[in-house]
Amino acid sequence: MEDFEPKIIGFLCNWCSYAGADLAGTSRIQYPANIRIIRVMCSGRINPMFVVNALQQGADGVLIGGCHPGDCHYQHGNYQARRRITVMKKLLEFLGIDPDRVRMTWVSAAEGRKFADVIKEVTEDVKKLGPIKQIRRKNEW
Amino acid sequence: MVDQKELIDAVKETISREDVRYIVGYEKGTFGFETAPSFAYTSDDAGKFIFNPLCTKNLVVYPILEEKLPLKREEQVDDRKIGIVVKGCDSRAVVQILQEKGLKRENLVLIGIPCTGVIDTKKIKNKFPNQTEYTDVKEDKNHYVFSIEDSVQKIPKEELLADVCKECEYPNPVIYDIMIGEEIEVDTEPTYNKVREFEEKTLSEKWEYWEKHFENCIRCYACREACPLCYCKTCMADLLDPQWIRRSVNLSENTAWNIMRAFHLAGRCVSCGECERACPAEIPLMKLNKMLEKEIKESFDYTAGLDPEEKTLFGTFNPDDPEEFIM
Repeated sequence: MEDFEPKIIGFLCNWCSYAGADLAGTSRIQYPANIRIIRVMCSGRINPMFVVNALQQGADGVLIGGCHPGDCHYQHGNYQARRRITVMKKLLEFLGIDPDRVRMTWVSAAEGRKFADVIKEVTEDVKKLGPIKQIRRKNEW
Repeated sequence: MVDQKELIDAVKETISREDVRYIVGYEKGTFGFETAPSFAYTSDDAGKFIFNPLCTKNLVVYPILEEKLPLKREEQVDDRKIGIVVKGCDSRAVVQILQEKGLKRENLVLIGIPCTGVIDTKKIKNKFPNQTEYTDVKEDKNHYVFSIEDSVQKIPKEELLADVCKECEYPNPVIYDIMIGEEIEVDTEPTYNKVREFEEKTLSEKWEYWEKHFENCIRCYACREACPLCYCKTCMADLLDPQWIRRSVNLSENTAWNIMRAFHLAGRCVSCGECERACPAEIPLMKLNKMLEKEIKESFDYTAGLDPEEKTLFGTFNPDDPEEFIM
């Protein structure tokens, strides 16, 4: 799988991570184009079923970005997201789906450089894992 | 062993109260080793109530399953209490529902029974596949005693006990109005040996195991219907817009459904084992639930269904929750 380019869905929170991604863009920092960003208002908005659905519909990895602990625009959305994703990752691992496909990160609006580094790392990791085989939906009938 | 007379007397006394509508309990089944749920509306109905190690079902589903028809003109809402016969695990399900404000405590009368574990009906049916008539099972210290075809059978408890009951931490009801029999002393600590053993396997071995089981899933949703905590008015699996999981029965959708079911019970499951008992495809659902229970206990120090005043697992947070995995 030399030329495998993974698809990664990024759920980024409107107030920190999305602004961080924006800063990475305006600062002209290069990062892999494998990530498709979906903006959500808060990382607490992310239903763990979003992750399962993304993996079913063709994503090889999912990245969830939120504000640093204590910085959430809605006080505690990121803390609740953290609990949910912890449990979700454990569940996926128990079922035999590599938990490294689901990643979570704290990126603030000022961390454009960090955002680019995170994307690079995630893309490399998912590239090593290869395309997801377990729960990909096959559109055949 | 629960005194039958004491149970019937307690039910009679409760149903005679004016503020009680009906009581749900167990009665003799019509086939093999099955008991059936029984409803007592008058004190005459109380006579058929029984309790023995075959009473596996979790009756807490009933006050929630009850259909609430629109009121006729000038009809008053019937807000009398509902009585339920609860074992240890059932009472924890009640606590968990109270915690989530799905039911009100003042609308329930709980008749608690300390439970010494129930029989796995699949195991006993495999041993005696030709038994078609209802058979009463009695417990005698470490044996189950029952008579089949004029011969008295005595089988060690270990052989027939349901897997979930082997590591039961709470055999005594944690919440009750009337207690029947004496409390049991508990000294078992859950070891989660099965889960730990499974976790040792590699990812591909794990997936091989689950793939085999999820391919058998027919998505009848019996696990959801039997579960006392799956009481959403509209389940996410039934929604069409947004459609979280498609209707087709294939490996991808079955896996998504089973992930969803397990996740929605994370931090809520009280390990009564009803889902696994109800599953016609024999998917080891309790393995998923037990693993989540263990992880949640270790990571968040949280156990479901103990205190009705406590907040739910995902409704609360601790700033010091583990976050090694966050980049």
